[in-house]
Formats: sequence, structure tokens, C-alpha cells
Amino acid sequence: MAAEMKFAKSHEWIRPEENGLATVGISSYAVEALTDLVFMQLPPVGKKVKAGESIGEIESVKAVSDLYAPVSGEIVEVNAALPNQLETLGTDPYGAGWIVRIKPDDPSEMDSLLDRAAYEAQIAS
Amino acid sequence: MTAASLAVWWDEAADGPTNMATDERLAEEADRRGGPAIRFYGWSSPTVSLGGFQPLAEATACSAIAGLPLVRRPSGGGAIIHGSDLTYAAAVPKSHPWGARPQAFYDALHAAMVEVLATWGLEARLHVPSASDPPADAFLCFSRRAPGDLVAARPGQAPTPSDPKIMGSAQRRLGTTVIQHGSLLLGRCLAVGPEARHDGLTELSCAAATLPREIASRWIDRLAGGLGVDITPHGRAFAVGHEQEIARAAERFRDDRWTGRR
Repeated sequence: MAAEMKFAKSHEWIRPEENGLATVGISSYAVEALTDLVFMQLPPVGKKVKAGESIGEIESVKAVSDLYAPVSGEIVEVNAALPNQLETLGTDPYGAGWIVRIKPDDPSEMDSLLDRAAYEAQIAS
Repeated sequence: MTAASLAVWWDEAADGPTNMATDERLAEEADRRGGPAIRFYGWSSPTVSLGGFQPLAEATACSAIAGLPLVRRPSGGGAIIHGSDLTYAAAVPKSHPWGARPQAFYDALHAAMVEVLATWGLEARLHVPSASDPPADAFLCFSRRAPGDLVAARPGQAPTPSDPKIMGSAQRRLGTTVIQHGSLLLGRCLAVGPEARHDGLTELSCAAATLPREIASRWIDRLAGGLGVDITPHGRAFAVGHEQEIARAAERFRDDRWTGRR
């Protein structure tokens, strides 16, 4: 996990990029908990979301789960290849398994998210 | 362990969209209560509930279910033919031990049903995957096998990998709650074509097949016992007092855009 990466309690990670955008994915813990992924629905590019709103859904053999926006902003890019290679979420959740890129309305919103240590404490509890 | 009781409702039959909307309201209720809530319900006519992302084209291509009402669940899994089953929806907040570990929630409900059916002499068990399993993406839930599904040996026969599946469940994991839909197959549903009929408790010669309410009562007793909590039974239907809200929410489940989302 990169040091600057932040986490939502709902298991999404977000990493600010140098171009002002932020990349979003789901943690390895979440991928492991979901097990046997079979389908993913991504949001449309251009969608504006508030922090905590659904940005997509992911289905495993026995469950459908929402993916949530860690911060408010506009979806500017989606990993369109991901739904056809869901195994990438398991093999490289913090790299090639990224889900969307978002243009945050307020980058400081990331300050209120969990850092790596706090997130690991949450999943250990 | 949590002090919140297990809230239970016994509801009358309703159509698919109303049932799905009521289950969403049940999730809100579980969140409000801070504890698990279960409702048992029927269907106003035999109905097919599609899994959250099953392609609608698979339903229209299945001639055995032609003419039956169709509703898409928010939960995952395969299509279920409701008409000769015991249907439940259980919801639990993520702050609850079951909600924090949804697989434990799933396993607890199925393991308790194994114990219940054993009281009628039926040796059900949780399915363990094997190489001879049918395809995991079969259209009908009861044609699939997944870890933890309830299967049972035929009367007088030793367990085999091809034993019938008698109970399946699937979840929708929301922001603050987990809702689980499930179905215990009481017997073959004669409202569908032969290729979509699956053996249930009746075909396994289990006397409980005609006693769904008794099955459910024993089940919730065990669930509450396992959690160490009391049961809060409700003498009224869950929807009472929420009729308009549920009717509005049901419109989404009637909308072709929802049913045809994939």
C-alpha cells in the first residue's frame, strides 16, 4: 500500500495523483471478503457523486455489494477492462485493479479518511 | 454478542415488487433497531425472482417459466421460482456480529436450518464444492451449487455429490446493513415446466414439508439461541404503518429499467 493512500470505512481506497485527480479502488481485504467475483457494474464517466454515494456494484457468487465514493467529485475515467478481468482485483488491487478516477470537488475531503494504520486497525477489530 | 432481540414478522402473500420493497424497508428497520430482523412471506402467485445481475435474456429464454411474473431482487444469486417454498428475508446492521462478517451470517442461518430439519429426521448438510458440481452460473438457483448451500440425501440413500439442493440464500450488502434473501424448497413447483422443477422436502419424504410455519418457528428459536437473544414476535404484518412508503418503493421494482438492467 502506498503511504499517501487513504481508506474509507466501506473499504474503498483513494490515492491522489499529480494531475489533481484521484484513483479509487477497493482494498485487498474487501476483495478477499467478497470471494468469487462474477460481475461488476461501473458508473458512467461524467457522473457527479457525493462522498458515500454508490459508484457501482460488484457481484460475487452469493452477494451484490455497492462500491462507494470516498469523496465527492466527478467520475472522469473508469477502468473499462476490469469487469472482463475481475481476477485483477485479487492479484493487483492497488494497481491494475483500480476502478475509477475521480476529480475531487474538494481534495481536503481526503484528510478525513482513514490512513493505512487506522484502516488496518479497523479491519483487525 | 448483542443485546438487541431478533425481531420476527409473519407476512401475507404479496406481489414481487411489493415484497422486494418491503425487504428494503426491513433493512432500514434492522439498522434502526441495531439488531437482526427477519420476515417470512408468501407470493400472491408463483413468481420468479431474478438475481441482482442475472441477464434478463436468460429468463426470457427459459421456456419453463414462461408466463410467470418476474421480479429482480437486489440480492445476488440465481433465479428462484417462488410458489412452493418458504421465503425469508433477514437483515442485520453491519455493527452486529453477523453484519460485520456476512459469510458468518449466511453460514449461521443455514447451519441452524440443518439442525431444524434434523428434528424431523432429515439429514441435510452444507454443500462442499466438488468436481461434479453443476455450473455455478446455472440460471436457476436450485440448479446451482455453492459452498454453504443446503443439500440433503434422498431417503434411504447415502449422501452423494448430486443430492438435491433444498435451500439457497443470497445477500445484498448495503452501506450500513446486510440483507439476505433465502428460500427453502418445500416441494416441486408445478407452475413451471418439468425442467425447472426441483425436488424439495416433499420429494425427500420429510414430514415438515407441510409445516412451513413450524419450520420457521423452530429456526428462529435456534437463531435466537445461538445469538443469546430473545425473540420479538410481531402480531401484525411488517408493512403496517409503512404501506405508502412501500408502495412508492415498489414502483422501482416494477420498472422495466430495473428488471432489464442487465
